[in-house]
Amino acid sequence: MSKITRQSIYILIISVFLFIFVLVFSFSSLIPEGKEYRKEKTQLLAQRQDLQRYQDFEAQTYDTLKKLQANNRHIIAAFDKEFLPERFVKKYKSSFNSLDVTKVQTLDLEEGFSVYDVKTSSQISSPAVFYKFLDEINKSDWIIAVNFPIEFVRDGEVLNSSFKMKVYSNSKDLNRSKLVKK
Amino acid sequence: MKYSYIKPRRKSMLTPEIKLVVTFFAMTLFMLISTYVFLLIKNSQFQQEEIDIIEAKYNIERNIKIMEIKIIYIEKQNALSQKIFTKNSVLKDSIKNLFDLVPQRITLSKAELLKNGLVLYGITPNKDVYNFMLHAPLRSIFHRTYSSFYPAKNGWLKFVSTNYMDNDIEKIMNEETNDE
Repeated sequence: MSKITRQSIYILIISVFLFIFVLVFSFSSLIPEGKEYRKEKTQLLAQRQDLQRYQDFEAQTYDTLKKLQANNRHIIAAFDKEFLPERFVKKYKSSFNSLDVTKVQTLDLEEGFSVYDVKTSSQISSPAVFYKFLDEINKSDWIIAVNFPIEFVRDGEVLNSSFKMKVYSNSKDLNRSKLVKK
Repeated sequence: MKYSYIKPRRKSMLTPEIKLVVTFFAMTLFMLISTYVFLLIKNSQFQQEEIDIIEAKYNIERNIKIMEIKIIYIEKQNALSQKIFTKNSVLKDSIKNLFDLVPQRITLSKAELLKNGLVLYGITPNKDVYNFMLHAPLRSIFHRTYSSFYPAKNGWLKFVSTNYMDNDIEKIMNEETNDE
């Protein structure tokens, strides 16, 4: 039988120590961490794909919004604009012989928008002027609905007309006007 | 008495073989530990990236919600304005039709368009002209029609024609707007 040298014993001890260390380290730390790595990587991949979907949808929504804003620029601006009777008279005075607009201080909410009642009296040479006015009002700087009652009274060669108008604007005006009132 | 002619070497524990084994084992340990450290760092990076992605998703979601609210609001503005524009156009046509309805022999002095009716004041040569040329078409449009006459100075007749609908004209106009 061959004799076991001291060197062999050292090597054996170191090997056994390393073997135990590797086993313990692997099962207690390395393998769980590896599993965690795989799980995290899969999760991250899913999250990245999800994020991409979100980004695509955001871009799509942004495009839709921009397109809508571009197509409805006039309407958006009209809802934003505060109604000033003087400016209205200045703009439409040329169509009428005389035009008088009174902003009635009643504010109401209709379909989420604030509504001003405006009383208008005017003098026109023929009903055709009123038709033209109704056509033009749809292209005006404000969103205006001509409302009942509408009255036409003949006065010699001219027609005196009086009618109500409803001016619609964004509801933030309501708060502003309430503050002004206070 | 000497048995050898050379000096004895000092014996060391670290023989070349042991050195080789220790080096090999050290490399193995180094690789194991570096793998572990690599996994730790990567996991930490993944977690951080995941937190960043969740935050980015939250921000995007919030942006999308804000944009969707804006889109809904613009669509609402658009729908309301189209409704108003159509209502104005229908009103224009209604008034035009009303004035076209009045025959040349009858002269109107006043017209009141109400929410649910129409009141006309005017002058007619006689009742027959009024009845055939104005009253008949008005009766076909309105549900209830009342007329009263007063003699005018020139021998003609002044009239007041009051016409009502059971539904509001506005409602009918709204229906027409919706149909369009």
